[in-house]
Amino acid sequence: MSKSVLQLPVIETAEAARQTVRLTLHAPEWAHTAHAGHFINLLVPGRRDLLWRRPFSVHRADRSRGTIDLLVGKAGRGSESIAASRPGEQLDAIGLLGNNFPLDAGLREIIMVAGGIGIAPFDLLLQDAKGLSCRKSLFYGARSACDLCNSALWAEKGAALHITTQDGSAGSRGLVLDELRRYLESDRDYTGRVIYGCGPTPMLAALREMAMGLGIKGYVSVENRMACGFGACVGCAVELAAVRPDGQKYLLACKDGPVFPIEEILIHD
Amino acid sequence: MTDLRVRIGSLVLANPVLTASGTFGYGSEFADFFDLNRLGGIVTKTVTLEPRPGNAPQRIWETPAGMLNSIGLPNVGVEQFKVEKWPFLSTLKTAVIVNVAGRSSQEYAAAVEALESVEGIAAYELNYSCPNVKEGGLAFSSDARVAAEVTSRVRAVTRRPLIAKLTPNVTSISEIGRACADAGADALSAINTLVGMAVDIRTRRPRLSTITGGLSGPAIRPVALARVYELVRNVSIPVIGIGGIATAEDALEFLIAGAAAVQIGTAGFVHPDAAVRVVEDLEAFCRREGIAGMAQLCGSLRL
Repeated sequence: MSKSVLQLPVIETAEAARQTVRLTLHAPEWAHTAHAGHFINLLVPGRRDLLWRRPFSVHRADRSRGTIDLLVGKAGRGSESIAASRPGEQLDAIGLLGNNFPLDAGLREIIMVAGGIGIAPFDLLLQDAKGLSCRKSLFYGARSACDLCNSALWAEKGAALHITTQDGSAGSRGLVLDELRRYLESDRDYTGRVIYGCGPTPMLAALREMAMGLGIKGYVSVENRMACGFGACVGCAVELAAVRPDGQKYLLACKDGPVFPIEEILIHD
Repeated sequence: MTDLRVRIGSLVLANPVLTASGTFGYGSEFADFFDLNRLGGIVTKTVTLEPRPGNAPQRIWETPAGMLNSIGLPNVGVEQFKVEKWPFLSTLKTAVIVNVAGRSSQEYAAAVEALESVEGIAAYELNYSCPNVKEGGLAFSSDARVAAEVTSRVRAVTRRPLIAKLTPNVTSISEIGRACADAGADALSAINTLVGMAVDIRTRRPRLSTITGGLSGPAIRPVALARVYELVRNVSIPVIGIGGIATAEDALEFLIAGAAAVQIGTAGFVHPDAAVRVVEDLEAFCRREGIAGMAQLCGSLRL
Protein backbone atom coordinates (compact mmCIF):
# COMPACT_ATOMS: atom_id res chain seq x y z
CA MET A 1 0.00 0.00 0.00
CA SER A 2 1.58 3.21 -1.17
CA LYS A 3 1.55 6.21 1.17
CA SER A 4 0.76 9.73 0.06
CA VAL A 5 0.05 13.24 1.30
CA LEU A 6 -3.44 14.43 0.34
CA GLN A 7 -5.55 17.52 0.92
CA LEU A 8 -8.88 16.15 2.12
CA PRO A 9 -11.99 18.34 1.86
CA VAL A 10 -14.15 18.27 4.99
CA ILE A 11 -17.65 17.18 3.89
CA GLU A 12 -19.47 17.07 7.19
CA THR A 13 -18.89 17.44 10.89
CA ALA A 14 -21.15 16.18 13.66
CA GLU A 15 -21.11 15.90 17.42
CA ALA A 16 -20.54 12.17 18.00
CA ALA A 17 -20.41 12.34 21.81
CA ARG A 18 -19.35 14.77 24.53
CA GLN A 19 -16.04 16.37 23.48
CA THR A 20 -15.97 14.15 20.38
CA VAL A 21 -16.51 15.21 16.78
CA ARG A 22 -17.08 12.95 13.80
CA LEU A 23 -15.38 14.34 10.68
CA THR A 24 -16.40 13.11 7.24
CA LEU A 25 -13.63 13.66 4.71
CA HIS A 26 -13.61 13.23 0.95
CA ALA A 27 -10.94 10.58 0.29
CA PRO A 28 -12.12 8.16 -2.43
CA GLU A 29 -8.83 6.30 -2.72
CA TRP A 30 -8.52 5.67 0.99
CA ALA A 31 -12.23 4.87 1.35
CA HIS A 32 -11.56 1.88 -0.89
CA THR A 33 -8.37 0.62 0.71
CA ALA A 34 -8.92 1.35 4.41
CA HIS A 35 -9.42 -1.48 6.88
CA ALA A 36 -9.93 -1.40 10.63
CA GLY A 37 -6.72 -0.29 12.32
CA HIS A 38 -5.40 1.90 9.50
CA PHE A 39 -4.85 5.50 10.45
CA ILE A 40 -4.12 8.86 8.88
CA ASN A 41 -1.90 11.59 10.23
CA LEU A 42 -3.40 15.10 10.13
CA LEU A 43 -1.61 18.42 10.16
CA VAL A 44 -3.06 20.70 12.84
CA PRO A 45 -4.60 23.61 10.94
CA GLY A 46 -3.56 27.11 11.97
CA ARG A 47 -1.15 25.99 14.72
CA ARG A 48 2.40 26.20 13.47
CA ASP A 49 3.67 26.02 17.04
CA LEU A 50 2.31 22.45 17.21
CA LEU A 51 4.91 20.64 15.19
CA TRP A 52 3.61 17.11 14.86
CA ARG A 53 0.65 15.78 12.94
CA ARG A 54 -2.02 13.99 14.97
CA PRO A 55 -2.91 10.36 14.18
CA PHE A 56 -6.55 9.23 13.82
CA SER A 57 -7.95 5.75 13.16
CA VAL A 58 -10.22 5.42 10.19
CA HIS A 59 -13.64 5.05 11.83
CA ARG A 60 -15.77 4.40 8.76
CA ALA A 61 -15.18 4.11 5.05
CA ASP A 62 -18.07 4.77 2.69
CA ARG A 63 -16.90 3.27 -0.56
CA SER A 64 -19.85 4.48 -2.64
CA ARG A 65 -19.60 8.08 -1.39
CA GLY A 66 -15.80 8.06 -1.40
CA THR A 67 -15.57 9.33 2.17
CA ILE A 68 -13.88 8.31 5.37
CA ASP A 69 -14.98 9.26 8.88
CA LEU A 70 -12.74 9.98 11.84
CA LEU A 71 -13.64 10.32 15.51
CA VAL A 72 -11.77 13.27 16.95
CA GLY A 73 -11.72 13.41 20.73
CA LYS A 74 -10.87 16.88 21.99
CA ALA A 75 -7.95 15.74 24.10
CA GLY A 76 -5.59 18.68 23.63
CA ARG A 77 -4.81 21.77 21.57
CA GLY A 78 -4.06 19.80 18.41
CA SER A 79 -7.18 17.65 18.38
CA GLU A 80 -9.28 20.68 19.36
CA SER A 81 -8.10 22.61 16.30
CA ILE A 82 -8.77 19.60 14.07
CA ALA A 83 -12.22 19.07 15.63
CA ALA A 84 -13.06 22.71 14.88
CA SER A 85 -12.69 22.13 11.10
CA ARG A 86 -15.73 23.23 9.07
CA PRO A 87 -17.22 21.75 5.88
CA GLY A 88 -15.47 23.25 2.85
CA GLU A 89 -12.10 23.43 4.60
CA GLN A 90 -9.31 21.01 3.77
CA LEU A 91 -7.12 18.93 6.02
CA ASP A 92 -3.57 17.95 5.09
CA ALA A 93 -3.27 14.19 5.64
CA ILE A 94 -0.68 11.43 5.28
CA GLY A 95 -2.14 7.99 4.72
CA LEU A 96 -2.95 5.28 4.76
CA LEU A 97 -0.68 4.32 7.61
CA GLY A 98 -0.20 1.25 9.76
CA ASN A 99 -1.57 -2.28 9.59
CA ASN A 100 -5.04 -3.58 10.32
CA PHE A 101 -6.91 -6.08 12.52
CA PRO A 102 -6.62 -9.51 10.89
CA LEU A 103 -9.73 -11.62 10.53
CA ASP A 104 -8.39 -15.11 11.05
CA ALA A 105 -9.76 -18.10 9.18
CA GLY A 106 -12.16 -20.19 11.23
CA LEU A 107 -13.43 -17.27 13.36
CA ARG A 108 -16.38 -18.21 15.56
CA GLU A 109 -16.66 -14.91 17.40
CA ILE A 110 -15.24 -11.41 17.04
CA ILE A 111 -15.08 -9.93 20.53
CA MET A 112 -14.51 -6.19 20.25
CA VAL A 113 -13.44 -4.38 23.41
CA ALA A 114 -13.54 -0.59 23.27
CA GLY A 115 -12.78 2.03 25.89
CA GLY A 116 -13.88 5.61 25.18
CA ILE A 117 -12.57 6.94 21.87
CA GLY A 118 -11.10 3.44 21.33
CA ILE A 119 -14.42 2.64 19.67
CA ALA A 120 -13.08 4.31 16.51
CA PRO A 121 -11.81 1.30 14.47
CA PHE A 122 -14.70 -1.03 15.26
CA ASP A 123 -17.24 0.42 12.86
CA LEU A 124 -14.81 -0.42 10.09
CA LEU A 125 -14.05 -3.83 11.62
CA LEU A 126 -17.75 -4.69 11.45
CA GLN A 127 -17.69 -3.59 7.82
CA ASP A 128 -14.57 -5.72 7.16
CA ALA A 129 -16.35 -8.69 8.78
CA LYS A 130 -19.65 -8.15 7.03
CA GLY A 131 -19.41 -11.33 4.95
CA LEU A 132 -18.44 -13.48 7.93
CA SER A 133 -21.21 -15.43 9.57
CA CYS A 134 -19.45 -15.55 12.96
CA ARG A 135 -20.85 -13.99 16.12
CA LYS A 136 -19.90 -10.35 16.71
CA SER A 137 -19.89 -8.94 20.22
CA LEU A 138 -19.03 -5.40 21.20
CA PHE A 139 -18.00 -4.53 24.76
CA TYR A 140 -18.05 -0.77 24.92
CA GLY A 141 -17.20 1.20 28.04
CA ALA A 142 -17.27 4.92 28.69
CA ARG A 143 -17.48 7.26 31.64
CA SER A 144 -21.09 8.22 31.05
CA ALA A 145 -23.97 7.82 28.57
CA CYS A 146 -23.07 11.10 26.86
CA ASP A 147 -19.58 9.78 26.08
CA LEU A 148 -20.88 6.89 23.96
CA CYS A 149 -20.61 7.28 20.17
CA ASN A 150 -23.37 6.01 17.86
CA SER A 151 -24.67 3.64 20.51
CA ALA A 152 -27.90 3.07 18.59
CA LEU A 153 -26.13 1.98 15.44
CA TRP A 154 -24.07 -0.93 16.69
CA ALA A 155 -26.90 -3.44 16.89
CA GLU A 156 -27.97 -2.54 13.33
CA LYS A 157 -24.50 -3.46 12.17
CA GLY A 158 -24.90 -6.91 13.61
CA ALA A 159 -23.07 -6.63 16.92
CA ALA A 160 -24.38 -7.96 20.22
CA LEU A 161 -23.87 -4.89 22.37
CA HIS A 162 -22.56 -4.87 25.97
CA ILE A 163 -22.43 -1.30 27.23
CA THR A 164 -20.88 -0.26 30.50
CA THR A 165 -20.60 3.21 32.00
CA GLN A 166 -18.73 4.18 35.12
CA ASP A 167 -21.72 6.14 36.45
CA GLY A 168 -24.35 3.64 35.34
CA SER A 169 -26.14 6.18 33.11
CA ALA A 170 -26.22 3.65 30.27
CA GLY A 171 -25.79 -0.12 30.17
CA SER A 172 -24.42 -1.72 33.29
CA ARG A 173 -22.48 0.25 35.86
CA GLY A 174 -18.78 -0.50 36.09
CA LEU A 175 -15.79 -1.17 33.91
CA VAL A 176 -15.92 -2.73 30.48
CA LEU A 177 -13.39 -5.40 31.46
CA ASP A 178 -15.53 -6.61 34.38
CA GLU A 179 -18.39 -7.17 31.96
CA LEU A 180 -16.03 -8.89 29.53
CA ARG A 181 -14.65 -11.21 32.21
CA ARG A 182 -18.14 -12.34 33.24
CA TYR A 183 -18.94 -13.05 29.61
CA LEU A 184 -15.73 -14.94 28.90
CA GLU A 185 -16.00 -16.99 32.08
CA SER A 186 -19.55 -18.02 31.23
CA ASP A 187 -18.31 -20.00 28.22
CA ARG A 188 -14.75 -21.21 28.45
CA ASP A 189 -14.49 -22.70 24.99
CA TYR A 190 -12.29 -20.13 23.32
CA THR A 191 -11.66 -21.92 20.04
CA GLY A 192 -12.18 -19.55 17.16
CA ARG A 193 -12.99 -16.63 19.45
CA VAL A 194 -10.72 -13.60 19.14
CA ILE A 195 -10.51 -10.39 21.15
CA TYR A 196 -9.98 -7.09 19.33
CA GLY A 197 -9.09 -4.31 21.78
CA CYS A 198 -8.67 -0.57 21.48
CA GLY A 199 -8.74 2.03 24.23
CA PRO A 200 -6.71 3.71 26.96
CA THR A 201 -3.37 2.11 27.81
CA PRO A 202 -4.36 0.97 31.35
CA MET A 203 -7.40 -0.80 29.84
CA LEU A 204 -5.24 -2.51 27.21
CA ALA A 205 -2.72 -3.58 29.86
CA ALA A 206 -5.50 -5.18 31.92
CA LEU A 207 -7.06 -6.70 28.80
CA ARG A 208 -3.76 -8.31 27.88
CA GLU A 209 -3.46 -9.83 31.33
CA MET A 210 -7.01 -11.16 31.21
CA ALA A 211 -6.71 -12.61 27.70
CA MET A 212 -3.41 -14.31 28.45
CA GLY A 213 -4.71 -15.59 31.78
CA LEU A 214 -7.79 -17.13 30.18
CA GLY A 215 -5.87 -18.35 27.14
CA ILE A 216 -7.95 -16.51 24.57
CA LYS A 217 -6.41 -15.11 21.44
CA GLY A 218 -6.41 -11.36 20.87
CA TYR A 219 -5.16 -8.29 19.06
CA VAL A 220 -4.83 -4.75 20.36
CA SER A 221 -4.45 -1.43 18.60
CA VAL A 222 -2.08 0.76 20.61
CA GLU A 223 -1.90 4.51 20.93
CA ASN A 224 1.45 6.21 20.85
CA ARG A 225 2.98 9.58 20.21
CA MET A 226 4.55 9.78 16.77
CA ALA A 227 6.54 12.53 15.09
CA CYS A 228 6.03 11.07 11.59
CA GLY A 229 3.73 8.04 11.41
CA PHE A 230 5.66 6.27 8.67
CA GLY A 231 8.70 4.75 10.35
CA ALA A 232 11.23 7.56 10.04
CA CYS A 233 11.39 9.11 13.51
CA VAL A 234 11.54 5.75 15.33
CA GLY A 235 9.91 7.49 18.27
CA CYS A 236 6.82 5.31 18.76
CA ALA A 237 8.66 2.27 20.11
CA VAL A 238 6.61 -0.56 21.58
CA GLU A 239 8.43 -3.11 23.73
CA LEU A 240 8.45 -6.73 22.60
CA ALA A 241 7.41 -9.27 25.23
CA ALA A 242 10.49 -11.32 24.33
CA VAL A 243 13.77 -10.02 22.91
CA ARG A 244 14.32 -11.52 19.46
CA PRO A 245 17.34 -13.69 18.68
CA ASP A 246 18.94 -10.81 16.74
CA GLY A 247 18.66 -8.55 19.77
CA GLN A 248 15.60 -6.60 18.61
CA LYS A 249 13.71 -5.27 21.65
CA TYR A 250 11.21 -2.86 20.13
CA LEU A 251 8.69 -2.57 17.33
CA LEU A 252 7.19 0.64 15.94
CA ALA A 253 3.52 1.45 16.58
CA CYS A 254 3.25 3.30 13.25
CA LYS A 255 4.82 0.75 10.95
CA ASP A 256 4.70 -2.65 12.67
CA GLY A 257 1.34 -1.72 14.26
CA PRO A 258 -0.79 -0.09 15.48
CA VAL A 259 -2.33 -3.58 15.70
CA PHE A 260 -0.28 -6.23 17.51
CA PRO A 261 -1.03 -9.77 18.69
CA ILE A 262 -1.81 -9.23 22.36
CA GLU A 263 0.93 -11.55 23.63
CA GLU A 264 3.66 -10.12 21.38
CA ILE A 265 4.13 -6.77 23.10
CA LEU A 266 4.32 -5.40 26.62
CA ILE A 267 1.79 -2.75 27.52
CA HIS A 268 3.06 -0.50 30.25
CA ASP A 269 0.30 1.07 32.25
CA MET B 1 18.99 27.65 -15.34
CA THR B 2 20.82 27.92 -12.05
CA ASP B 3 23.65 25.54 -11.42
CA LEU B 4 22.88 24.29 -7.92
CA ARG B 5 25.96 22.09 -7.64
CA VAL B 6 28.15 22.42 -4.57
CA ARG B 7 31.47 20.89 -3.60
CA ILE B 8 32.13 19.39 -0.16
CA GLY B 9 35.81 18.50 -0.26
CA SER B 10 36.16 16.08 -3.15
CA LEU B 11 32.42 15.36 -3.13
CA VAL B 12 30.24 17.11 -5.71
CA LEU B 13 26.53 17.30 -4.90
CA ALA B 14 23.83 18.06 -7.49
CA ASN B 15 22.37 20.62 -5.10
CA PRO B 16 23.08 21.77 -1.53
CA VAL B 17 20.10 20.01 0.08
CA LEU B 18 20.70 16.82 2.05
CA THR B 19 18.54 14.96 4.53
CA ALA B 20 19.77 14.78 8.12
CA SER B 21 20.84 11.57 9.80
CA GLY B 22 18.28 9.98 12.09
CA THR B 23 15.37 11.71 10.38
CA PHE B 24 15.35 9.98 7.01
CA GLY B 25 15.79 6.33 7.92
CA TYR B 26 17.61 4.58 5.11
CA GLY B 27 15.73 6.42 2.39
CA SER B 28 13.10 3.80 1.59
CA GLU B 29 10.74 5.25 4.24
CA PHE B 30 10.34 8.31 1.98
CA ALA B 31 10.34 6.65 -1.44
CA ASP B 32 6.51 6.71 -1.66
CA PHE B 33 6.45 10.48 -1.27
CA PHE B 34 8.94 11.81 -3.83
CA ASP B 35 11.82 10.96 -6.15
CA LEU B 36 14.82 10.72 -3.83
CA ASN B 37 17.17 11.42 -6.74
CA ARG B 38 16.13 15.05 -6.73
CA LEU B 39 18.01 15.55 -3.47
CA GLY B 40 21.61 16.69 -3.20
CA GLY B 41 22.15 13.70 -0.98
CA ILE B 42 20.90 11.46 1.78
CA VAL B 43 22.60 10.99 5.13
CA THR B 44 21.56 7.65 6.56
CA LYS B 45 20.47 6.90 10.08
CA THR B 46 23.49 6.11 12.24
CA VAL B 47 25.14 2.74 11.73
CA THR B 48 27.25 1.19 14.49
CA LEU B 49 29.62 -1.79 14.46
CA GLU B 50 27.21 -3.93 16.50
CA PRO B 51 23.39 -3.82 16.39
CA ARG B 52 21.70 -1.57 18.96
CA PRO B 53 18.07 -1.93 20.17
CA GLY B 54 17.69 1.77 21.04
CA ASN B 55 16.28 3.40 24.14
CA ALA B 56 13.15 2.42 26.08
CA PRO B 57 9.97 4.39 25.43
CA GLN B 58 9.09 7.25 25.93
CA ARG B 59 11.47 8.34 23.19
CA ILE B 60 9.95 11.57 21.89
CA TRP B 61 8.05 14.59 23.14
CA GLU B 62 6.56 17.56 21.31
CA THR B 63 7.69 21.02 22.46
CA PRO B 64 6.85 24.51 21.17
CA ALA B 65 7.87 24.55 17.48
CA GLY B 66 10.12 21.59 18.16
CA MET B 67 10.53 18.16 19.65
CA LEU B 68 12.70 16.27 22.08
CA ASN B 69 14.05 12.88 21.15
CA SER B 70 15.99 10.17 22.84
CA ILE B 71 16.00 7.37 20.32
CA GLY B 72 19.38 5.90 21.26
CA LEU B 73 20.72 5.02 17.80
CA PRO B 74 18.79 1.78 17.19
CA ASN B 75 20.23 0.11 14.12
CA VAL B 76 20.90 -3.33 12.72
CA GLY B 77 24.68 -3.01 12.87
CA VAL B 78 27.10 -2.54 10.01
CA GLU B 79 27.00 -6.09 8.60
CA GLN B 80 23.19 -6.22 8.45
CA PHE B 81 23.18 -2.66 7.09
CA LYS B 82 25.04 -3.98 4.06
CA VAL B 83 22.53 -6.78 3.57
CA GLU B 84 19.24 -5.06 4.52
CA LYS B 85 19.65 -1.35 3.86
CA TRP B 86 22.32 -0.88 1.22
CA PRO B 87 20.59 -2.71 -1.67
CA PHE B 88 17.90 0.01 -1.81
CA LEU B 89 20.34 2.88 -1.25
CA SER B 90 22.63 1.52 -3.98
CA THR B 91 19.86 1.99 -6.57
CA LEU B 92 19.83 5.76 -5.98
CA LYS B 93 21.69 8.24 -8.15
CA THR B 94 21.83 10.82 -5.37
CA ALA B 95 24.87 10.92 -3.06
CA VAL B 96 24.50 8.55 -0.12
CA ILE B 97 26.46 9.53 2.96
CA VAL B 98 26.59 6.89 5.69
CA ASN B 99 26.49 8.21 9.24
CA VAL B 100 28.65 6.20 11.65
CA ALA B 101 28.99 6.17 15.44
CA GLY B 102 30.89 4.10 17.99
CA ARG B 103 31.65 3.81 21.68
CA SER B 104 35.38 4.22 21.12
CA SER B 105 37.69 5.48 18.40
CA GLN B 106 38.44 1.84 17.54
CA GLU B 107 34.74 1.17 17.02
CA TYR B 108 34.33 4.16 14.71
CA ALA B 109 37.31 3.01 12.66
CA ALA B 110 36.14 -0.62 12.60
CA ALA B 111 32.66 0.36 11.40
CA VAL B 112 34.09 2.54 8.63
CA GLU B 113 36.56 -0.18 7.68
CA ALA B 114 33.67 -2.64 7.37
CA LEU B 115 31.93 -0.22 5.01
CA GLU B 116 34.96 0.30 2.77
CA SER B 117 34.09 -2.73 0.65
CA VAL B 118 30.65 -1.26 -0.13
CA GLU B 119 30.81 0.39 -3.50
CA GLY B 120 29.01 3.67 -3.98
CA ILE B 121 29.18 5.28 -0.54
CA ALA B 122 29.77 8.97 -1.27
CA ALA B 123 31.11 9.93 2.16
CA TYR B 124 30.97 9.17 5.86
CA GLU B 125 29.47 11.45 8.43
CA LEU B 126 30.91 10.76 11.87
CA ASN B 127 28.29 11.20 14.56
CA TYR B 128 30.30 12.74 17.38
CA SER B 129 27.37 14.23 19.03
CA CYS B 130 24.42 12.04 19.85
CA PRO B 131 23.33 13.25 23.28
CA ASN B 132 21.27 10.13 23.94
CA VAL B 133 23.79 7.36 24.23
CA LYS B 134 24.83 6.36 27.73
CA GLU B 135 28.32 5.32 26.73
CA GLY B 136 29.01 8.97 26.03
CA GLY B 137 28.37 9.71 22.36
CA LEU B 138 28.56 13.33 23.34
CA ALA B 139 32.06 12.87 24.76
CA PHE B 140 33.48 12.51 21.27
CA SER B 141 32.68 16.01 20.29
CA SER B 142 32.82 17.82 23.59
CA ASP B 143 36.53 17.23 23.94
CA ALA B 144 38.74 18.50 21.11
CA ARG B 145 41.45 15.96 21.82
CA VAL B 146 39.06 13.00 21.67
CA ALA B 147 37.33 14.32 18.52
CA ALA B 148 40.74 14.65 16.86
CA GLU B 149 41.73 11.14 17.88
CA VAL B 150 38.60 9.57 16.43
CA THR B 151 38.90 11.60 13.25
CA SER B 152 42.51 10.60 12.66
CA ARG B 153 41.77 6.93 13.40
CA VAL B 154 39.01 6.91 10.82
CA ARG B 155 41.11 9.00 8.41
CA ALA B 156 43.70 6.21 8.50
CA VAL B 157 41.26 3.60 7.18
CA THR B 158 39.49 5.49 4.38
CA ARG B 159 40.11 7.89 1.54
CA ARG B 160 36.42 8.73 1.24
CA PRO B 161 35.32 12.21 2.34
CA LEU B 162 34.81 12.52 6.10
CA ILE B 163 32.27 14.86 7.62
CA ALA B 164 32.40 15.42 11.40
CA LYS B 165 28.96 16.13 12.89
CA LEU B 166 29.30 18.44 15.86
CA THR B 167 27.25 19.09 18.96
CA PRO B 168 26.26 22.59 20.05
CA ASN B 169 26.40 21.49 23.69
CA VAL B 170 29.95 22.77 24.20
CA THR B 171 31.65 26.00 25.20
CA SER B 172 33.51 26.43 21.92
CA ILE B 173 32.29 24.60 18.83
CA SER B 174 35.07 26.19 16.77
CA GLU B 175 37.78 24.60 18.89
CA ILE B 176 36.29 21.14 18.26
CA GLY B 177 35.73 21.93 14.58
CA ARG B 178 39.36 23.01 14.14
CA ALA B 179 40.59 19.87 15.90
CA CYS B 180 38.56 17.69 13.50
CA ALA B 181 39.82 19.65 10.48
CA ASP B 182 43.43 19.32 11.63
CA ALA B 183 42.93 15.56 12.12
CA GLY B 184 41.78 15.11 8.55
CA ALA B 185 38.03 15.82 8.36
CA ASP B 186 37.00 17.16 4.95
CA ALA B 187 33.92 18.98 6.22
CA LEU B 188 31.89 19.67 9.35
CA SER B 189 28.15 19.39 9.87
CA ALA B 190 26.44 21.34 12.62
CA ILE B 191 24.45 21.36 14.70
CA ASN B 192 23.20 18.17 16.27
CA THR B 193 20.37 18.56 18.80
CA LEU B 194 20.48 20.77 21.88
CA VAL B 195 20.12 18.97 25.21
CA GLY B 196 16.62 19.55 26.54
CA MET B 197 14.10 18.22 29.03
CA ALA B 198 10.37 18.15 29.75
CA VAL B 199 8.46 17.07 32.87
CA ASP B 200 4.94 15.70 33.36
CA ILE B 201 3.71 17.96 36.16
CA ARG B 202 0.96 15.53 37.14
CA THR B 203 3.14 12.45 37.68
CA ARG B 204 6.29 14.56 38.28
CA ARG B 205 8.18 12.21 35.99
CA PRO B 206 10.42 13.24 33.09
CA ARG B 207 8.66 12.94 29.72
CA LEU B 208 11.56 10.96 28.26
CA SER B 209 12.83 7.65 29.63
CA THR B 210 16.39 9.00 29.59
CA ILE B 211 15.30 12.19 31.44
CA THR B 212 16.97 14.52 28.94
CA GLY B 213 16.99 14.31 25.15
CA GLY B 214 17.87 16.29 22.07
CA LEU B 215 15.83 19.30 20.96
CA SER B 216 15.28 19.77 17.23
CA GLY B 217 12.91 21.60 14.90
CA PRO B 218 12.24 25.27 14.07
CA ALA B 219 12.80 26.23 17.73
CA ILE B 220 16.57 25.69 17.40
CA ARG B 221 17.12 27.32 14.00
CA PRO B 222 18.54 30.69 15.16
CA VAL B 223 20.90 28.91 17.57
CA ALA B 224 22.05 26.62 14.77
CA LEU B 225 22.61 29.53 12.41
CA ALA B 226 24.77 31.37 14.95
CA ARG B 227 26.88 28.23 15.50
CA VAL B 228 27.31 27.63 11.78
CA TYR B 229 28.33 31.25 11.26
CA GLU B 230 30.85 30.92 14.09
CA LEU B 231 32.32 27.76 12.53
CA VAL B 232 32.52 29.27 9.06
CA ARG B 233 34.59 32.15 10.44
CA ASN B 234 36.94 29.90 12.36
CA VAL B 235 37.60 26.82 10.24
CA SER B 236 38.85 26.45 6.70
CA ILE B 237 36.85 23.37 5.65
CA PRO B 238 33.23 23.45 4.36
CA VAL B 239 30.43 23.54 6.91
CA ILE B 240 27.05 21.85 6.34
CA GLY B 241 24.28 23.68 8.20
CA ILE B 242 21.69 21.73 10.19
CA GLY B 243 19.04 22.81 12.68
CA GLY B 244 15.36 23.50 12.18
CA ILE B 245 15.59 24.11 8.45
CA ALA B 246 12.14 23.55 6.92
CA THR B 247 11.92 25.85 3.89
CA ALA B 248 14.11 27.31 1.14
CA GLU B 249 14.09 30.63 3.02
CA ASP B 250 15.55 28.86 6.06
CA ALA B 251 18.15 27.12 3.89
CA LEU B 252 19.12 30.42 2.25
CA GLU B 253 19.88 31.97 5.65
CA PHE B 254 22.43 29.21 6.29
CA LEU B 255 23.93 29.40 2.79
CA ILE B 256 24.28 33.19 2.98
CA ALA B 257 25.89 32.84 6.42
CA GLY B 258 28.50 30.60 4.81
CA ALA B 259 27.23 27.02 4.88
CA ALA B 260 28.28 25.02 1.81
CA ALA B 261 25.14 22.87 2.04
CA VAL B 262 22.27 22.19 4.42
CA GLN B 263 20.48 19.20 5.90
CA ILE B 264 16.73 18.92 6.42
CA GLY B 265 15.70 16.85 9.43
CA THR B 266 12.66 17.22 11.67
CA ALA B 267 10.68 19.05 8.95
CA GLY B 268 10.55 15.79 6.98
CA PHE B 269 8.60 14.07 9.77
CA VAL B 270 5.75 16.53 9.27
CA HIS B 271 6.06 17.16 5.53
CA PRO B 272 7.74 14.08 4.06
CA ASP B 273 8.62 16.00 0.89
CA ALA B 274 10.10 18.97 2.79
CA ALA B 275 13.64 18.46 1.48
CA VAL B 276 12.64 18.27 -2.18
CA ARG B 277 10.44 21.34 -1.74
CA VAL B 278 13.51 23.18 -0.45
CA VAL B 279 15.37 22.14 -3.64
CA GLU B 280 12.54 23.39 -5.87
CA ASP B 281 12.02 26.66 -4.01
CA LEU B 282 15.75 27.31 -3.83
CA GLU B 283 15.97 26.89 -7.58
CA ALA B 284 13.00 29.24 -8.09
CA PHE B 285 14.57 31.83 -5.78
CA CYS B 286 17.85 31.73 -7.70
CA ARG B 287 16.03 32.08 -11.00
CA ARG B 288 14.07 35.07 -9.74
CA GLU B 289 17.15 36.70 -8.27
CA GLY B 290 19.34 35.97 -11.28
CA ILE B 291 21.75 33.80 -9.32
CA ALA B 292 23.76 31.57 -11.65
CA GLY B 293 25.56 29.39 -9.13
CA MET B 294 25.83 28.62 -5.46
CA ALA B 295 29.14 30.44 -5.13
CA GLN B 296 27.21 33.70 -5.54
CA LEU B 297 25.17 32.79 -2.46
CA CYS B 298 27.42 30.89 -0.09
CA GLY B 299 29.06 33.21 2.41
CA SER B 300 27.59 36.32 0.80
CA LEU B 301 26.50 37.75 4.17
CA ARG B 302 26.77 41.55 4.17
CA LEU B 303 28.00 43.09 7.40
